[in-house]
Amino acid sequence: MAHAIETHGLTRKFDGRVAVDGLSLAIEAGTVFGFLGPNGAGKTTTVRMLAALIAPTDGDAIVAGHALGVDDTALRRSVGILTEQPGLYDRLSARQNLRYFARLYDLEPARADAQVERYLHLLELWDRRDEPVGTFSKGMRQKLAIARALLHEPTVVFLDEPTAALDPEAARTVREFVKGLKREGRTIFLTTHNLPEADELCDSIGIFQRRLLRMGSPRELRAGLFGAGTVVRVVGDAARYVPVLRALAFVREVRAEGDTLTVQLDDPDSRNPDIVDALRAAGARIRYVERLQHSLEDVYLRLVGGHA
Amino acid sequence: MKKALIVLEKEWLELRLQRGLLLATLFLPPVMTVFGVVGFFAVGKIPASTIPQGGPLPPEFALLSPLEIGQAIVGRQFSILFLLLPIFIPSVLASYAIVGEKRERTLEPVLATPIRTWELLLGKILAALIPALAITIASASLFVAGILAFAVTDRVREVIVTPGWILAVVVDTPLLALIGVALIVVLSSRVNDPRTAQQFSAVLVVPVLALLFGQLAGVIVLGPGLALGIGVVLAIIAAGAVWAATRLFQREVILTRWR
Repeated sequence: MAHAIETHGLTRKFDGRVAVDGLSLAIEAGTVFGFLGPNGAGKTTTVRMLAALIAPTDGDAIVAGHALGVDDTALRRSVGILTEQPGLYDRLSARQNLRYFARLYDLEPARADAQVERYLHLLELWDRRDEPVGTFSKGMRQKLAIARALLHEPTVVFLDEPTAALDPEAARTVREFVKGLKREGRTIFLTTHNLPEADELCDSIGIFQRRLLRMGSPRELRAGLFGAGTVVRVVGDAARYVPVLRALAFVREVRAEGDTLTVQLDDPDSRNPDIVDALRAAGARIRYVERLQHSLEDVYLRLVGGHA
Repeated sequence: MKKALIVLEKEWLELRLQRGLLLATLFLPPVMTVFGVVGFFAVGKIPASTIPQGGPLPPEFALLSPLEIGQAIVGRQFSILFLLLPIFIPSVLASYAIVGEKRERTLEPVLATPIRTWELLLGKILAALIPALAITIASASLFVAGILAFAVTDRVREVIVTPGWILAVVVDTPLLALIGVALIVVLSSRVNDPRTAQQFSAVLVVPVLALLFGQLAGVIVLGPGLALGIGVVLAIIAAGAVWAATRLFQREVILTRWR
């Protein structure tokens, strides 16, 4: 699959201070990429570089088929960006706001009007189209800012904390909309502090703190950091079955707590039947067998905490 | 250039929605002009004996009667208004258009579009300059019509509507306006309140007021030569100010240096 975003050693310094240090990544087209990191980690600086708003100090990148620094105007035409702050003109109506940006994105007036209408309908703002944006709620403003990022139908969309400060209902609407964008084949570069949201939406995730600490699918990140595992609940005290499992060559570690056995191993999908057979042979009565789950938050805190 | 016009159109749309700003900048000048013309007319109707005499006067007032002097002084004072308006109006409009946009954090989404920064800057400068100059020229024309209609003699007309004053309005005021807008752009990189930017840009009024008092005291005669000389100096200052403004109005600088 082609890459929508590719960076090589992307670096940005401000007066000698390194904000982004040698970022190299490749994001497949049509996927959602989550960019996670603490405040001040350099996420917004990275987005600004990739959207050709500021120049890198070093390194290079190709975004939506355009090399950074070659024809940045064309690059900006191919990407959409939801900035950290919605940045809307409060005195203008929703329609006037969008029409202005549609024309700045080179849409002819008739097409601009059609696109404005389309996105106002899609984001359920059509009924309030002629009201000043200053009267809108936070959720409505955020939806309008998302509409603005999409008017010109970009193939790559940068969303900087799209659900921050939204109520749960508005946040869910935005998340569903992001899923819709993915179904349309767009590439989404999502920065967020909301880890369950990243887990739900992202195909791959980069954990970043001035430099890329780890990248992979949510599942790969969990497995890579904590290893894979299986949790088995048995009838009675689980401790008596620990030697049985330790005798299996593929088991790396076993812990027992009450009626629960936590087994670390490399390939649970193929080895779980062997574990069940061994336990049953030892006389165990099995209640449940389930995958050992670590949350993305565990992964994030382990990585970011280790580099704080 | 097309995008500069799109920016200009949006600026004027926002201006139309700001009643207070619109009244203060675009409707006040004609009202003040009418006030000046009425005052000029009224002075021409009062008995000459009631006009106080004495005090320093410009040399060209030497041959005028007390009644003519009364009208000439009122006319001269109001004529300076048309050198002040082009500083005041575009500074106010530009401060809201640039500092206001910075404060509302609307610049970044605009800079993320394919617009070039010079197009954005040009759109904002024109949006402030065009109404300011249009209202100044319109008000000055109204003022001239009033002077021509209500002057008690031709000599009064000649000491107010001079070639030097006309040249100053036509040549110097657009340059002053441009300097005012450029100064606002420079200040925008440091201040977050449009009113603060306006206060700083008010320093431009000082040389114009010096011209006014110099004329009234008879120290300065605003002839065509002086008006053109001032124009040359202003053009040099305007070029420097626009250069500085252009250097500060770049994506990179706005997003990383403006505080």
